[in-house]
Amino acid sequence: MAQITTRITATAGVAAVALTLASCSPSDTEGGGDDGPVTLETWISQDMETLFPGDAGSYDNISVLDVVYDGLVRYDPETTEPYNYVAESIEPDEENTVWTITIKPDLEFQNGEPVDAEAFARSWNYTADGDNGLYSNYFFGIIEGYDEMQPTTDDEGNITAEGATDELSGLEILDPLTLQVTLTSPFAGFATMLGYTGFFPVAQECLDDVEACATQPIGNGPFQVTEWQQSQELTAERWDGYTLDETPDYDAIHWTEYATGETSSWADFKAGDLDLSFPPTAEVESARNDPELAERYVERPGAALTYLGFSGYTDGPWNDIEFRKAISMAIDREGIISSLGSGQATPADSWVVPGGVPGGEAGTCEWCVFDPEAARDALERAGGWPEGEKLQISLGDDDAEVEYFTAIGNSVEEVLGIPYELNIDPDFFTTRAEQGYDGMFRNNWFPDYPLNENYLSFYASGEPGAGHWGWYSEEFEAKLDEAAAAPSLDESVALYQEAEAILAEEFPTIPFRWGFSSTYYSERLDNVILNPFSGAPILREIEVSVG
Amino acid sequence: MGRYIARRVLQAVGTLLLVMLLLHLLTTVAIQLNGNPAQAFFGDKVASPTQLAAVEQRFNLDDPCFDQVGNPCLGPFVERLGQYARGDFGTNLRGREVSDIVAAAAPNTLRLFCVVLITWLALGMVLGSVAARRRGSTGDHGIRLTSVLIDAFPVFVLLIVYRYVVAVPLHRWAEETFGEDSWPPYWFKPSFDADHPWATVVVPGILLGLAGSAAFIRLVRAGQLEAYQGDHVRAARSKGLAERHVVVHHVVRNSSVPVVTAVGLTFAEALGGAVITEGLMNIYGMGGVLWEAVRNDDVGLVLGIVTLLAAVTVVVMIVVDIAYAVLDPRIRYD
Amino acid sequence: MTDLSTPTTAARAPARPAADAWRALRRRPDTVIAAAVILFFAVMAAFPGLFTGTSPRACPIRDARLDPQGWGGAHPLGTDALGCDVLATLVHGVRPSLLLAVVVVGVSLFIGVTLGLLAGYYLGWVDYLVSRTVEVFLVIPLLLAALLVLSLFQGVDLGSGTFEVILLPAIVLILFGWMPYARYVRASTLEAKNLDYVTAARSLGASDLRIMVRHVLPNAIGTVTALLPTSVAGVISAEAVLSFLGIGVRPPATSWGIQIEQGSEWVTGGAPHILLAPLICLVATVLALVVLGDALRDALDPRLAR
Repeated sequence: MAQITTRITATAGVAAVALTLASCSPSDTEGGGDDGPVTLETWISQDMETLFPGDAGSYDNISVLDVVYDGLVRYDPETTEPYNYVAESIEPDEENTVWTITIKPDLEFQNGEPVDAEAFARSWNYTADGDNGLYSNYFFGIIEGYDEMQPTTDDEGNITAEGATDELSGLEILDPLTLQVTLTSPFAGFATMLGYTGFFPVAQECLDDVEACATQPIGNGPFQVTEWQQSQELTAERWDGYTLDETPDYDAIHWTEYATGETSSWADFKAGDLDLSFPPTAEVESARNDPELAERYVERPGAALTYLGFSGYTDGPWNDIEFRKAISMAIDREGIISSLGSGQATPADSWVVPGGVPGGEAGTCEWCVFDPEAARDALERAGGWPEGEKLQISLGDDDAEVEYFTAIGNSVEEVLGIPYELNIDPDFFTTRAEQGYDGMFRNNWFPDYPLNENYLSFYASGEPGAGHWGWYSEEFEAKLDEAAAAPSLDESVALYQEAEAILAEEFPTIPFRWGFSSTYYSERLDNVILNPFSGAPILREIEVSVG
Repeated sequence: MGRYIARRVLQAVGTLLLVMLLLHLLTTVAIQLNGNPAQAFFGDKVASPTQLAAVEQRFNLDDPCFDQVGNPCLGPFVERLGQYARGDFGTNLRGREVSDIVAAAAPNTLRLFCVVLITWLALGMVLGSVAARRRGSTGDHGIRLTSVLIDAFPVFVLLIVYRYVVAVPLHRWAEETFGEDSWPPYWFKPSFDADHPWATVVVPGILLGLAGSAAFIRLVRAGQLEAYQGDHVRAARSKGLAERHVVVHHVVRNSSVPVVTAVGLTFAEALGGAVITEGLMNIYGMGGVLWEAVRNDDVGLVLGIVTLLAAVTVVVMIVVDIAYAVLDPRIRYD
Repeated sequence: MTDLSTPTTAARAPARPAADAWRALRRRPDTVIAAAVILFFAVMAAFPGLFTGTSPRACPIRDARLDPQGWGGAHPLGTDALGCDVLATLVHGVRPSLLLAVVVVGVSLFIGVTLGLLAGYYLGWVDYLVSRTVEVFLVIPLLLAALLVLSLFQGVDLGSGTFEVILLPAIVLILFGWMPYARYVRASTLEAKNLDYVTAARSLGASDLRIMVRHVLPNAIGTVTALLPTSVAGVISAEAVLSFLGIGVRPPATSWGIQIEQGSEWVTGGAPHILLAPLICLVATVLALVVLGDALRDALDPRLAR
């Protein structure tokens, strides 16, 4: 019986394998066929959970939604400046408070519903309604009537009452194609925000069943999601009813979902199964040295900032600006990034990405240069580091980041003699938000829309001791308000630059590195352009050659 | 036997409830100590208390007991049990149905385990028997040395080397030799392919099985050595039975007991290997899902999956127990 | 002893097993080599200063991934991805790795054997209790539990001494490592209990404790000893796996596991020495342990004695 059981198991298993192997021949649906549809093969990360525009906030769903939906504006791939796309025109009044948006006529959703003022209003109202708990909710805080839509909570954070209304009073549909938006306060950069996923329109059918729409979006863009095996693969095919002009020639996009993101797709890229990818750190050099690959490579400075913050809400040497300067100047940014950066990072010396968005300039951070001497002097001025203590450096459990921060710790220990300890915290975001750290910790910012304001406004904590870093500056917040109220976008940008200068002066956080986007692509692709602030290849621009 | 099985099943239900309660408590304490996982939803954004509250409500984390350290949160637990009883396994933190996730991930992991199991049994039985029969010979030493070497070699190194060094050229070679429309290129695909789940899981499964097979080889060898010395084998030989008959009916059969035990034991353990293999080969499976769920303090998903896993493991263990009784007549259950 | 009632299989059971085992061990050269290897690493764990003068924490990033320079060079085994000296890290990583293995196997063996013996011998409610506990622990996957335990302890500062560094992985591995011993010992006890000489001993009025320790345990220990070397190897490898998943010993503290994890990334990137150095040490240790264990098993198991 023993071997019988064993044999049965084994035979059954083998039979199962054999059966599946023999039952059918693999149908090769991947692109490159002469007559079949041309499919672009690319990747996203596995943890993408939703494709509902108001709930999308990650690199992955943003890059998928970018071909499934069309926003009021799109961004110039070179200058990042917004231009009208679904919108015919976007006009502010003199104070930049009331904005009139006209929509191009005769546009439709993929289910035939019209894309009109109503479609935008219903999307924005739904996302702005705090009771729905959507990711992009906070974007709508600048529109009048937002506060009345939010639930009320008691001191312990429990909801006591739902929001009073379900509609933004600041939205008014003047005629089917004209939407008037009233802001709570003047904001010259409002048009810049409108290309973000949170501002995409949605169909009524989508709101009728949000859950279904989150997996089977009803878009108004050039591609239509046909199948999503969540966490494994996603396919979108060209939508025949598309009338606007920004659509590529190929027929479909197939995303394979990877557990650990882009670098795990590299082997598949080399095996010829993917069209776009970038190697893991260790493979970067050999990829660089491959003359054939070098021709199929694009790069672009990215806009994501990784920086260090301190627990200003606890007692410690870090509450002395000289100590923060010492740490900053003790970090060998160049050395660390050239060794570990694998061509996907550049040293940062400013808080707003230089060149990437309006108002971003390099070198605003005076103490972001590696200078061991000056660092030791600054530490002395700060009164040194308490004997026997260890500097705690906290971060989430991301392998690549652990390596970076070990290197940062090593650099600080070597220059300043401050022993450190890494606190790798799976609940990093929560602990940080609850002010649970004591020492230094990682921060990261990925911009939502290209305006320097987006890099600065989250420093406004409202009161002393609040926010991630327990940092507050009345002067800084006044400057932000002034900038928002500026009469033109240019003046506004300049005032935001002044706000950045205040930040640079008070030095609450230490810029460490900018993301640097680079991608290799397969032989059949052409015109691969990276999005200037997300770093993702702009799928609509890519050309796929056939045959 | 019937009564025995009935009793084991009842015990199993008890074990299951205990496991669920234990995990519920652990996860709850984790949430209470680490703060509400709703915050993770916002990542780097600074969320207002109102936004946080709304997200908590959306994902059913708004029970105040999750904020009180030490509160066992039995209310939500009982509620969840009730849902399970009705066949509703709830949703994860992002509102996706747990049953959907399991339906997508479990088959892949089962495929992986299936290949692993076959590898274990095949290698263990064949190499273990050979080593036992030729005890002390070069072959015996060679087999033992190899098995130890493989065991000492971390499985992730094996997988990384396979994926980045071996798989790509092999895949290309297979494509050129057999054509793109044939099966071999899929066997050597560097990553899992959801459209061809069996073909792309074979090699990762064999590699994972290889790494765990040393224990089986040693078990089989040890078991058979003992059996060769046993009275019943001597008796059988002295009766003049053919060596083949003796080996098959007495030696192999007796040495199966520890092997079957080990299969049962290793089942839960293999999940560790599954996390790594799934992660490296990009297989969407239970290991990876569970891993992420714990990292995110996703109570609903953790409990849902573990309940399922535990149920399967308990069933396997019962089967093993019964196999025990069948295999070794000396062990009696009443 | 119970020579009178012992059946043929145990007829040649030595009167003084320890002395006999020692004699058997010495006759085998591979055993001696294996012991030397273990001794070598034990000395390394105890006195790392003998092997390297470089601190494993001195890691200038600009010196990252230097090739091995051979003896006499500043970095005999080169440097790793962060610029730390590979030899120094290796030497200083021995202690946590070995300590972890010894502590985990020792403690879980003790727990497992005790519980397994009690359960198999007394059956009844003792067995019920033990078996249920074993089941509960078996059903919860190790990694899941490791993660949970870790997330519970993450806020707690344990300090950075050698023992503190391995404490968390040790707790996790012990908590989920004792069940196999319990299961095997229980199964062997069930078997041994029915053997004639045990029955005889019982009928002669030997106490339960005496029967368990002198008659049942030696019988059961054979299977368990066969497991031991793989277990030690298992713990060392498990530590590497935990490190690979980011829940083992935490950097900047080092262990072989951490080194292998960090090195595995570079194995295809032109710096295989970062992986090879710790991997060779790990494999050598494990091999040595297994050879020792095998010899020990052959020497101890009365029924297999030559």
